[in-house]
Amino acid sequence: MCRSRHWERLVDNTAGAILERPREHSSVRAAPGVLHALLAEFNSPGELRDAAGKVRDAGFKRFDAHSPFPIHGIDSAMGIRRSMLPIVIFCGGLTGCLTGLFLQWWTNASDAGVFQWALDLVTHWFQAFLGYQYLISGKPYFSLPANIPVIFELTILFSAITAVLAMLMSNNLPLFYNPLFNSRRFRRATDDGYFISVLATDPKFDAARVRELLTGAGGDVEDVFELPSAARFPKVIHRVGLTVTMLALVPLAVILMARYGKSPDPRIHIIQDMDNQPKFRAQHADLAFSDGRAMRGPVGLSADHPLGLTVARGELHEDSLYNTGLVGKVFAETIPFYRPELTADEHFVRRGQQRFNIYCAPCHGRDGAGAGMVNEHALTIGGGWVQAADLADDERRSRPVGYIFHTITNGIRTMPAYGDQIPVADRWAIVAYVRALQRARHASAADLNPDDLANLRNR
Amino acid sequence: MADTNNAVDFSNERVTLGDNAPRIATPALVVGALFIVLSLALGIRGKATFATFLRAYLVNYCFFLSLSLGAMFFVLIQHLTRAGWSVTVRRIAENFLATLPLMGVLALPIVVPMLLGVSAIHDLYEWTNAVLVRHDPVLSGKAVYLNVPFFTIRMIAYFALWCWIGHYFYKSSVAQDQSGSAEATARMQRLSAPAMIVFAFTLTFAAFDLIMSLDPHWFSTIFGVYYYAGSTLGFFCVLAIAMYLLQGAGLLSRTITTEHYHDVGKLAFAFTVFWAYIAYSQYMLIWYASIPEEVPWFDVRQQQPWVAISLVLLFGHFMIPFVALISRVPKRRPTALILGAIWLLLMHWFDLFWLVFPRAAHGEASESNIVAQGLATGEIVQCVLSLIGIGGLFVGVVILRMRGAALVPQRDPRLDESLAFENF
Repeated sequence: MCRSRHWERLVDNTAGAILERPREHSSVRAAPGVLHALLAEFNSPGELRDAAGKVRDAGFKRFDAHSPFPIHGIDSAMGIRRSMLPIVIFCGGLTGCLTGLFLQWWTNASDAGVFQWALDLVTHWFQAFLGYQYLISGKPYFSLPANIPVIFELTILFSAITAVLAMLMSNNLPLFYNPLFNSRRFRRATDDGYFISVLATDPKFDAARVRELLTGAGGDVEDVFELPSAARFPKVIHRVGLTVTMLALVPLAVILMARYGKSPDPRIHIIQDMDNQPKFRAQHADLAFSDGRAMRGPVGLSADHPLGLTVARGELHEDSLYNTGLVGKVFAETIPFYRPELTADEHFVRRGQQRFNIYCAPCHGRDGAGAGMVNEHALTIGGGWVQAADLADDERRSRPVGYIFHTITNGIRTMPAYGDQIPVADRWAIVAYVRALQRARHASAADLNPDDLANLRNR
Repeated sequence: MADTNNAVDFSNERVTLGDNAPRIATPALVVGALFIVLSLALGIRGKATFATFLRAYLVNYCFFLSLSLGAMFFVLIQHLTRAGWSVTVRRIAENFLATLPLMGVLALPIVVPMLLGVSAIHDLYEWTNAVLVRHDPVLSGKAVYLNVPFFTIRMIAYFALWCWIGHYFYKSSVAQDQSGSAEATARMQRLSAPAMIVFAFTLTFAAFDLIMSLDPHWFSTIFGVYYYAGSTLGFFCVLAIAMYLLQGAGLLSRTITTEHYHDVGKLAFAFTVFWAYIAYSQYMLIWYASIPEEVPWFDVRQQQPWVAISLVLLFGHFMIPFVALISRVPKRRPTALILGAIWLLLMHWFDLFWLVFPRAAHGEASESNIVAQGLATGEIVQCVLSLIGIGGLFVGVVILRMRGAALVPQRDPRLDESLAFENF
């Protein structure tokens, strides 16, 4: 406590020293103008309140009390009626509430039920707008529970804005200049001074009477003058202000011009969002081609590449046996091992097994018997499921390898074509593995080598 | 705060009920006990009627428990915020803390049938039915928490904590009347923070256990807050009524001023809005998501006859009091405020009735089609009987507690502040 007092005094002294200086040079005090008000300083909040009561009883209306903090009972002492602010804010809130309700109803509800007449009326005024009719979560277009958050927010928003604006208006704010600040003492109204100011514009104002009244109430009275107009405001500030104001209008004028003018230039593009990229778009020119167009037509359909004379990359199948499994119109009986891609070894069959387990086993099963996962699941669902074929029955075992390759490539019955998914060499590897499966499913003990047979028997 | 030897003169002020207390309390206690016995007697005749007794009893039990807990919240929040305005009315709230042990005893009609495995309790709390739980995957999943022994342990824990907090804050405050020690206030302020955390958790779980578990398939994480909102609102109403009645009896006539009524009114208004906010938050999420496991709870409450009570709550618990209490005028006129308080208290009772009573009819319900059980005359009678029963005991205990210490903390360091404060 003690320390802070000391500190305050220190600040007061320093501030005083700074504030004192201009007084010597200032001509303000030397040239008083029209009397603005009488300002009286009081020693305590209690004195201020009592004095305010006396001024009120004397019938003055245009007076004010100034103190660094709110004082209990000052409102009634000054005869101030309760503020209209709550009622104004309530109306603002109500407006927000109804605006929120109306906004949502109008933007989304064309079928307004019992309110249809009102909607018809509104759409009549605001041209034919029937609402966006977003169907959200299967709720009605106009459903109160969903509207309440927006109604609530707008109620608060409108209340708050109304509160601020109405408060400013009822306080005559913003006020850029108040002659009371010509009194040096008055600055202490935000620190430790308690003041009453009676304005000269009050109909009952009589300087002598007011001075007597305020002095009688214990006040230290001072005259506050409006400054003579010459001393009020340097002319140069007017000129600078005028220039700055005019300049400030330039951007607005430019915006207005742009809004109603026409220009071939592209818009100013501040946020790029990858809108401009080094690429050709439709209708762009590119001189690399003889016809000057950047966009090329589809192969086979343009003048450069007549139909029938082009082959897509990787689609030139010179080896019919390798690529289709057909020799002429007959299915091949042997895997084309003469190709460098295919090798007649275990690695090749293992590759086939791996691919088979990926692509074929889901339906045909890992053993090829036609009981894969898809089959299992389809049976639990029921319906017209036709089981995938058993790859090791007599019919399939008698098929030539070219037939199996052709089936994988192009599909058969409900089985889709896998030619696009599985490369040619892998398809042949699968064929080899299918053959191995067929062999394994119909093997006898004699087919095993003696060591394996012995191992099996020992288990 | 530093000066505790305040110069408030209470010599001309009646600040205690004194020997009048037993004279008022005894009839209340006798009537209360009689009505509980009567209600129980009506209920014991058969299984269906005992279930009715339990349900009606639970409504009123939760109602009065909410008032006790609201009082606890009031005392704690005043200490926690170091409030000055409320000192003159805090002792009234402290007197209500005496009902916490009473509510602990009154929990027996719910806990004992549960422990005995009476079949009527299965009608109230499905999760106590072991056979049902075994065949219901949801209930068997929740059985870790929702089982009779753990429920009993939790109830004992809640009341142990509540009674201890209530006892401590009452005793410290009354002791300060003699000692005038500012240290007591500082100690209560320090303790109010952990006590408030304990309050928040225990109230939430008590609401889950006592009310939300009535429909054990349903869940709402905001449910505890909902019960809290109603509890606090209920207590502000009770506080206003108690202030009014005490002043009517010639007590505290200069201690409690218009400003205190105004503040209690403001809080009642605020919690009216808070209750609506929480109720809407709970409703909106369930309504929007429209998930089969959440919707039935509201579905039942949107069918006859419960939809009528739902609408009563919408208008009576929020819209009408909102408009009626928004202005400062009724809050500063005790008579008007008391009318509002009685109305809101009635609505709070309806709120708990609305939480406890509506349920789907057995047998006719299916997943897509839920049919609400109707309301029988016997149930209304039982509700009134146990309302008077528990209410009589509740009021009696509070008044008995008012016999001893003064009704205002005479040497609280902030008493001057409370006596002098004004609303702008």
